[in-house]
Amino acid sequence: MPDITLSRPVPVTTEAPLIRGLLIGVALIFVALFLFAPLVTVFVEALRQGWVAALDALRLPDALAAIRMTLTIAAIAVPINAAFGIAAAWAITKFDFPSKAFLITLIDLPFSVSPVVAGLMLVLLFGANSTLGGWLIANDMPIVFAFPGILLATLFVTFPFVARELIPVMIEQGRAEEEAALTLGASGWRIFFTVTLPNIRWALLYGVLLCNARAMGEFGAVAVVSGKIRGETATMPTMVEMFYNEYLSVAAFTLAAVLAMLALLTLLLKSLLEWRHADLLAATRRH
Amino acid sequence: MNIEIEELAKEFGTTRALHPVSLPIPSGALVALLGPSGSGKTTLLRILGGLEFPTSGRVLFGGQDATGLSVQERRAGFVFQSYALFKHMTVFENIAYGLRARPRKERPPEAEIGRRVQRLLDLIQLPDIGARYPNQLSGGQRQRVALARALAIEPRMLLLDEPFGALDAKVRKELRQGLREIHDRTGLTTVFVTHDQEEAMELADLVVVMSMGRIEQVGKPADIRARPATDFVRDFTAA
Amino acid sequence: MRVGILRSPSPLPGFGLSFGIMTAILSIVVLLPIGALLGRGLMIGPADLWDMLNSRRIWSALTLSFSAALIASLFNLVFGLMLAWVLVRYRFWGRRFIDAAVDLPFALPTAVAGIALTALYAPNGVFGQALAPFGLQVAYTEVGIWVALVFIGLPFVVRTVQPVIEELERDLEEVSATLGARRAYTLRRVILPTLTPALLTGFALALARSVGEYGSVIFIAGNIPNITEIAPLLIVIRLEEYNYDAAAAIGIAMLVISFAMLLVINAIQTWSRRRIGLA
Repeated sequence: MPDITLSRPVPVTTEAPLIRGLLIGVALIFVALFLFAPLVTVFVEALRQGWVAALDALRLPDALAAIRMTLTIAAIAVPINAAFGIAAAWAITKFDFPSKAFLITLIDLPFSVSPVVAGLMLVLLFGANSTLGGWLIANDMPIVFAFPGILLATLFVTFPFVARELIPVMIEQGRAEEEAALTLGASGWRIFFTVTLPNIRWALLYGVLLCNARAMGEFGAVAVVSGKIRGETATMPTMVEMFYNEYLSVAAFTLAAVLAMLALLTLLLKSLLEWRHADLLAATRRH
Repeated sequence: MNIEIEELAKEFGTTRALHPVSLPIPSGALVALLGPSGSGKTTLLRILGGLEFPTSGRVLFGGQDATGLSVQERRAGFVFQSYALFKHMTVFENIAYGLRARPRKERPPEAEIGRRVQRLLDLIQLPDIGARYPNQLSGGQRQRVALARALAIEPRMLLLDEPFGALDAKVRKELRQGLREIHDRTGLTTVFVTHDQEEAMELADLVVVMSMGRIEQVGKPADIRARPATDFVRDFTAA
Repeated sequence: MRVGILRSPSPLPGFGLSFGIMTAILSIVVLLPIGALLGRGLMIGPADLWDMLNSRRIWSALTLSFSAALIASLFNLVFGLMLAWVLVRYRFWGRRFIDAAVDLPFALPTAVAGIALTALYAPNGVFGQALAPFGLQVAYTEVGIWVALVFIGLPFVVRTVQPVIEELERDLEEVSATLGARRAYTLRRVILPTLTPALLTGFALALARSVGEYGSVIFIAGNIPNITEIAPLLIVIRLEEYNYDAAAAIGIAMLVISFAMLLVINAIQTWSRRRIGLA
């Protein structure tokens, strides 16, 4: 047998250094090409004619109206979604009733429905040619091509975010703490605010964060129900499309850059939550 | 095959898991590495198996330097504390794994693999469980399947990490006897790690008492009982 | 009356309120709209639905939507697995940064991704120019649709497989090596089968998302009828023509095919989970 010296052998649970290097290299190139390149492009295209042109584009009345619309929608849709998520999680995790699994499937359903089909559903339900829609329009409460339609579309596509984050966390935490508070004479609301909420606050924040990102960024469903009326029902993403189709490239990409910065902020906050509170989130522990 | 451990040391970063230790293991012996957790016994076993690499020192198998041999080349049958059975394979596939993993030229034909697996199932006295999956077995059965799987590669030695650790007291006693019988029938040099002094004393020919990365005493069970070399050995083996 | 639903009484209060809020919002936001679509389908009737769907343009669009989603999801299956493996098992500079960046497609609005990818791959874009000498055109072809769907689906695979890789027991890899198996054999025979259920879940999620994807695709697709026109776009076009029945027909077809696909994947998943002793 040849004389073997102690050249650092490779542990058995990893690959040879060459293969490791190769895989890291391919992964980095893949991420650079498929994730970073599009992101960088947004900013490059926005600044193609300089800062001034970009900032001017943001001052266009249509752009301002779209930003206002998106912020308003998010400000209403996210709290409703959070309220739904908390109510659903409370009912599902604190009580025993039949067909819970079916209920959870229903809550998850919007994730597997195309946003365009979601928009289509709302148009069929509330559009001018439906009974309900006709009556609502006759009574001056239009839903499609108006604010309520955009809100409903946003709610549909963001529907599962908070609930599916809270339910696993609350299942894991069990009912013992709430029951203990009950024996100490606390009322329902008091239990919720002093026992449950502190336990789920990071998971709630996490769900709200993802919900908000999707609410501000939704395109397909909103495009279908909003009618994309400039200055009235156009949101930031639909305005991006309109600017782009009118060859107003700088305006389109500047508005897109604002959305991209929002996305980056979301990622940053999300990463912070994951690093600091990983043990209190469902997302970082899911199987 | 006899095993020679020469001045073996292991550091993890700044902590010394193993101070230089030397130990000759005669061919065919049944040896217990006995000590509390953190005594370095598992590290020593893993170095023998090629799963851990020493910072300094040598290991000789049958007089030849094996320190730089890869795990695969060592052919040491290793039984893990958790058994590490492959959950997605049947008992048969688990035991056949090492044979099927061989390069095509050295791989026995399927019929031969089948015969060998059946012989091993007979050896562990579970002849009819080949088609079952690990999650359908009791703890004791799993341990014996892990043992059969390690034996299937015709190992040069048998290394076992807390082989009875996860079992209840009654099963533990039965399986001790089983290991003794298998050892006597195969004649393989066998090293097992345990923190249970009764188990070490009852089963092993040679007991190696370890503490804090050092070997405190090596001897036959009766000698260690009668003449403990240090206070630690006396305290640890008094029960 | 609500308390009657409960299997066993609970001392905790708030069932009526929370169950009420949940069912109310669920009904308005999800159930009523889905009911409207299915009801429309019933009103049209299966024969007329089939007639409406039976056109070359619709079949091309449906086939394109599903085949492109399948191709992109298969691609993501391979690269997502690789990325997850690298992120969990290797330590390198910038790892945490890459790990955080994987979620970019979740956070970036699809329309933004769409125009950015188009700008990159258009004939005068950076990638478009680089690929042109090889005779490769991405933007305004089916390849462009694949690229957009790869972007959209990537995090689904990575994020479902990653935690499972983190929890792999090292014992299994070590025991495989002590039995003489080479690393490649261990990866193929021990690790891959253990990851299969998670890979299937990630694949299914990516597929479900890409089939219905609209925003990131329409800019880069070119939208030529019969060639690069996806099914959701056809729904939008029919709606703009106020042809609600035709739009509903395509929508129902998409729902039905999606559910059939998810059912099949679910079945495969249950089978593979049982195989590795999880169920």
